[in-house]
Amino acid sequence: MRRALLFAFVLFASPAAAEQLVSGVSQDLIQITSTYKGSDIVVFGAIEGPPAGEPRTPRDIVVVVRGPESDITVRRRDRVAGVWINHDAAKLSGMPAYYFLASSRPLKAIAPQNALTHYSIGLQNLQPDTVHSHHDYEPFRQAALRHLTKDKLYTETGGVEFLSETLFRAHVPVPAGVARGQYKVEVYLFRDGEVQSAQSTPLFIDQTGLERRLYNFAHNQPFGYGLAAVAMAVIMGWISSLLFRRPT
Amino acid sequence: MEIYLPIAEMSVQWIVILGMGLGVGFLSGLFGVGGGFLLTPLLVFYGIPSGVAVATTLSHITASSISGALAQWKKRAIDFKMAGVMLAGGMVGTGVGVWLFAIMRRAGQMDLVVSLTYVPMLGIIGGIMLRESLRTLRARRTGNAPVRIHPVNHVWIHGLPLKARFRQSRLYISIIPPIVIGFLVGAMSAIMGVGGGFIIIPAMIYLLRMPTNVVIGTSLVQIIGVAIVTTLLQATSNYAVDIVLAAILVVGGVVGAQFGVRAGAKLRGEQIRFLLALLVLAVALRLLWGLVVRPADFYSIGGS
Repeated sequence: MRRALLFAFVLFASPAAAEQLVSGVSQDLIQITSTYKGSDIVVFGAIEGPPAGEPRTPRDIVVVVRGPESDITVRRRDRVAGVWINHDAAKLSGMPAYYFLASSRPLKAIAPQNALTHYSIGLQNLQPDTVHSHHDYEPFRQAALRHLTKDKLYTETGGVEFLSETLFRAHVPVPAGVARGQYKVEVYLFRDGEVQSAQSTPLFIDQTGLERRLYNFAHNQPFGYGLAAVAMAVIMGWISSLLFRRPT
Repeated sequence: MEIYLPIAEMSVQWIVILGMGLGVGFLSGLFGVGGGFLLTPLLVFYGIPSGVAVATTLSHITASSISGALAQWKKRAIDFKMAGVMLAGGMVGTGVGVWLFAIMRRAGQMDLVVSLTYVPMLGIIGGIMLRESLRTLRARRTGNAPVRIHPVNHVWIHGLPLKARFRQSRLYISIIPPIVIGFLVGAMSAIMGVGGGFIIIPAMIYLLRMPTNVVIGTSLVQIIGVAIVTTLLQATSNYAVDIVLAAILVVGGVVGAQFGVRAGAKLRGEQIRFLLALLVLAVALRLLWGLVVRPADFYSIGGS
């Protein structure tokens, strides 16, 4: 399974250019355990077949890691009868639960806006598939971007390092609060504002061990899980009254 | 030291959670209350989702109430018949409460409901206790006899049908008032994550006029019953019980309670009530602050 995933690089753009990307991820599976505090993965790669003798125009690498699609509900507080309550809401469907972007130069210098929009590269170019809202959803989208950026779930940095003319890498932080599911690691090679080559690699993030079993237990056998929680509390209460028996 | 909570789906400092369990356990031992009304807001301030906080606090309440009920049982200070009748109402109330809880969580109003129900309730209870304890403290200083609150004579309660004899409480009353009280406390328990001791005990003394010596044990049995049923319902219908969080809280709680009981023996009743009143009012003010102060960010993310 793991080896199969490792080689499951999917080529989803193959322009006629001679340049090709080869990229990899330091881990294809992240397991969330009870002591998981967040981790770093490394996305690395090389540009193969650089054109010899052609005039050199800048080449750029953009690394994007997208989490599983999720519904993000954003609520706005309004003052009603002197009290701040959640009033209006917008449900943004199809937004990634996690989004990381690293680029070798500022995005504006790499490609024109329509290319960035087309590949949804850049936080400002992330759009939900569908929106449930009675209002203009743009302020709600901006609020979602702001909150998720603050929680380090959405990131946009310039952190692609070139180790040589052709070798590059980027560190991708995976914070403790990430959603479980299938992630996509995408690497784009841009030249003259166009995608020359791109690769997508899956990355799986899952709970493991006791946490996984407890989560499954809670969702598959909720009644048994509830009984276990009750039994735990009853036994602890009983033990404590034995341990700390007071003279009466 | 961080630990990942599988249901809340977040990492927490387990030392902080253990400290909260210890602290609230200490206070509940000191003041003789369950402490749910303190623990739920504390967990919410820490960042645990309201739903998980409400549902998980009930495990803490179960453990500390069992500990207390066993001690009362040895003293034969429990009216099991009364507890059973109240629990019958409590079960229905719990069901209604969990159902309302699910509706409010879907509407994104859980935090509002928690705040709106806590602020007046804590404000009123804290205010009454503060007044009464100050009056007693002053009376003691000036050498007057302490003020006693006389139970009101509720004639209408004795006119209700379905009378039954409660031997342990030496009462012959209608079963309707205990069922209604049980229902209300059950619903409150599910919505607010409290045991409800601070409602049942005054209701038993002043409305049902039960003898004081059986009140604490009987209310503990009712609270345990409601907390267990609510935990099961929250687990099955809202998947909101986090057993890892519960375990840390329970360990802290039962240990803290023992120290609280010991510390409480050194203080006089009205001093304890005065301190508890200040604490209750502080929690109410903090929640009120969150409701009326202009938020730094008008937008929030959450719910589904």
